[in-house]
Amino acid sequence: MEIFLQQIVNGLAIGSIYALVAIGYTMVYGVMKLINFAHGDLVALAAYVGLTVLMQAFGMHITNLWAIILMFVITALFISLFGVVLERLAYRPLRKAPRLSAVVSALGASLAIENGIMLIWGPNIKVFPSNVFPNMRWHISGVVINSTQIAILLLSVILMLALYIFINKTKIGTAIRATAIDQDAAKLMGINVNGIIIAIFALGSFLGSIGGLFIGIYYRELYFQMGWIYGLNAFIAAIIGGIGNIPGAMLGGMLLGIFNVLIAGYVSNGWSEALTFVLLIIILIIKPTGILGERVAEKV
Amino acid sequence: MKKNFVWYGVFFVIAIIYPHFVNPSWVDIGTTFALYSVVALSQDIVLGKAGMFDMGHATFFGIGAYTAAILNTTYNIPIMYTIPIAIALSALFGIIISWPIIHLRGDYLLVATIGFNIIFYQALQNNVFGLTGGPNGIFGIGTPVIFGINIASQKAIYYFAWFILLITMLIIYNIDKSKLGRAFHYLRESEVAAESFGVNKRFYKVLAFALGAGLASLAGVIFAVQYAAVSPETFNFTQSVLFFTIVIVGGPSSIPGILLGTFVMFVVPQFFREFATARYFVFGIAMILTMILRPQGIWPVRFGKLPKYIFKES
Amino acid sequence: MKLKNLLWVVVSLVFVFVSSSAFAAGVIKIGVQAPITGSFANEGQGIDNAVKMLVAQQNAKGGLLGKKLEVVTCDDEGTAIGGAICARKLVNDGVVAVIGTYSSTPAESAEPIYARAGVLQTSDATADSLTKRGYWTFFRNSCPNSAEATFTADFLVKDKHFKRIVVLSDYSSYATNLADATIAALKKIGGNVIYYGKIQASSQNFTPILTKIKSMNPDVIYFSGYYTDGGLIRAQEVSLGMKAAFVGGDSNDNPEFFKLAGKASNGVYMINVPRPDILPYPLAKDFLRDYQARYHMMPPSIWTLFNADGLRAIMYAIEKTKTTDTKKLAAFLHNLKDFPGITGPITFTKDGERAGSRFMAYEIYNNNQYKVVYKED
Repeated sequence: MEIFLQQIVNGLAIGSIYALVAIGYTMVYGVMKLINFAHGDLVALAAYVGLTVLMQAFGMHITNLWAIILMFVITALFISLFGVVLERLAYRPLRKAPRLSAVVSALGASLAIENGIMLIWGPNIKVFPSNVFPNMRWHISGVVINSTQIAILLLSVILMLALYIFINKTKIGTAIRATAIDQDAAKLMGINVNGIIIAIFALGSFLGSIGGLFIGIYYRELYFQMGWIYGLNAFIAAIIGGIGNIPGAMLGGMLLGIFNVLIAGYVSNGWSEALTFVLLIIILIIKPTGILGERVAEKV
Repeated sequence: MKKNFVWYGVFFVIAIIYPHFVNPSWVDIGTTFALYSVVALSQDIVLGKAGMFDMGHATFFGIGAYTAAILNTTYNIPIMYTIPIAIALSALFGIIISWPIIHLRGDYLLVATIGFNIIFYQALQNNVFGLTGGPNGIFGIGTPVIFGINIASQKAIYYFAWFILLITMLIIYNIDKSKLGRAFHYLRESEVAAESFGVNKRFYKVLAFALGAGLASLAGVIFAVQYAAVSPETFNFTQSVLFFTIVIVGGPSSIPGILLGTFVMFVVPQFFREFATARYFVFGIAMILTMILRPQGIWPVRFGKLPKYIFKES
Repeated sequence: MKLKNLLWVVVSLVFVFVSSSAFAAGVIKIGVQAPITGSFANEGQGIDNAVKMLVAQQNAKGGLLGKKLEVVTCDDEGTAIGGAICARKLVNDGVVAVIGTYSSTPAESAEPIYARAGVLQTSDATADSLTKRGYWTFFRNSCPNSAEATFTADFLVKDKHFKRIVVLSDYSSYATNLADATIAALKKIGGNVIYYGKIQASSQNFTPILTKIKSMNPDVIYFSGYYTDGGLIRAQEVSLGMKAAFVGGDSNDNPEFFKLAGKASNGVYMINVPRPDILPYPLAKDFLRDYQARYHMMPPSIWTLFNADGLRAIMYAIEKTKTTDTKKLAAFLHNLKDFPGITGPITFTKDGERAGSRFMAYEIYNNNQYKVVYKED
């Protein structure tokens, strides 16, 4: 039993990271019906940028609270900006084009960012220092929980709550939801759709960058192709929860994290990706709109 | 139409004399170009003609290659006999895979096809049933023997591959002109309208997958012969993305477009093997630019709505 | 638009026809086949860097046989296709020998092409089949898994007396072969392997499988994969409160392992060929120092050093036989015994296998210092 609980604890930590990244996918897809394949690579880029900021700017004082906060702030700002620029350069020119052309553009962006990371930081792995978050361990009836896991879980929950409030209780949030339902009607209502799209890319990239930093802090090993796997998993999480549905992405992320660890722990590590997809396909066949239902308009 | 045939004639004449003028590594590239074109054309049946988002097509390519590899190395079946088995098996998988997911909306179908590709890849890596050779793959695959002639030399395999390409192009051309092609076309333009015409949506969609799968697996067999080896990473998701991109960048449902797409996505990077590290970075940027400049593909199909032969020859 | 397309095609074809240029005599060409891009980019670039550095050093001494050495690199992307294309290209470019490639699959697909053309090939790839097909041009420069496996088994059972052994590997052919060979060797001397599992390389999240292993109460985990995963496995093992010792195969021995494992590095056992800095050979220290100076980073792994040794053996052969006739070079190399190498004395068997490898077990203390705890001789 304690093994099971231990696995759950492990799963919640990785699940929070998936959730943060999944939100970025789901918001973009909800409004633009575009699978932003480059999103995962932005997350990876965030981890690299964060590491560089931390080491270059703060070298000796990496455990200083201000250093850590600044790392988060600078990285988040940079990646949010990057996301907005990406949209402007690679996606906006293709708004009127066939959908699949935008997908190829996204794939090209993903390839470029991934290889850009390799060119800038080199192909070797990079290691995050291990004491960014204070390291404490607690043994509770045979289950080991460490402070980094708690920190990630807490911070993610706070962020997601904040996002939920933002989307549901503010004017911009309502505008975003409106644009997701019907872009043209939103325009008629006086909503600046371009502005909304910039907002969701910025927001999605912001959350993704926090996820990327968490990956760096928790797993500590960065390699330039890591964007792919996180991206794909996060997208699956978004679909499982219901695409376009932000609470759905959060739920999907958590569930996927737990599912991943249970498979890896109880079945086998070599089939975990495959089984994740089997789960996805089953959900798509039984309840294609996802667990919490999708929020994308369907036109006949 | 006659003008088109002239262009294709020139194309094939160049292809025939090509291996005698270039060095051996370019002959290899030429052979793989032909095979990749076949796979791209087969994917086009699903993606370009029938309009279904398929990003896992390397699976069928791989089923063909691995079937030939396993049957030939483990059971000593001659390559020529593995061809019909590979095609049938792959088409069967095409039907099995597409049947439960065929009704899904575009992007969901996309992700489901990615899923099947990854499941296939992990099955290969995990050496399922002890047959697939794990991450090392299978080596020592034989060569086809037709009427007693062993197609073993580099040039012979090259011509065989181009022959397959020719056949594929003829098949696609005939599909375009037939009832099948029209059905695919109407489904792509509007499912609802097509159904009201009496087009059986499920039947034609699954058929598109089966056809695409069968053709891809034919290319797979010859591919296995060309390299005398198969390994999992040749049929992974990245390869599927390559074929997907070839169709969209070249021009969906356009034969010259797809040939050009294969050239751009596969042959052109070969020129730059010496420029090593930055190659794929530049390539990614090029993909974005190409889509922005030519969103409908580099060589899009001319008449989107009606088949050419309806118009009077002028 | 159509005409422009045709023009494109014609221009490229002309490019292709013209691109096979034969260089003048007066240079000796050394080929490098390696994954410069793709998932093994760091290893591929490491091999390329090492070869270029050694060639530059040799040229500064006047080259070989009065001729300058020239490096021709081909990126095989770590795939079978890339391997075959590079093989044909390098053969056509007139190289005497090829260093590479890093992994087994592209090395295998290239091997028959080099053999037919009489071009020497030396690779660190570990698939057994590479030396079993009678290709006279192939020389494996890394130590075969069987030697490391026997040593590891002896260490685990005869020296440390571990009673409950867990073996972990990943899905690569190298790690799987090493793990299988080690398990066979362990069984032979009565070792008790309680679990054999595989992890997905680069998945970073090993706590699930470690949690499962924890419940089996092992006293040692032997990991046959790479440092990129080994370091994290060790770190996560310790953070889960597990007491099992950690023994890493030779691909774990890398400075990045210690960065990843942090304090958990202490007490780790590494199995490797004798470390360059404890050998009396100045060449090993020199190599690392020169590499660091030239490229501002350490070589990515021991595999770079193995390949560097392959090149050194070939250059030595050219020097001693005074020819670039590969049949004579191969004959010389097949008889090579105890040639001083960065990774230890180099001896090739008649199958092109590397023989006479000596391993050692080290214990880590002070986060990244080594102390030899076991060796056989």
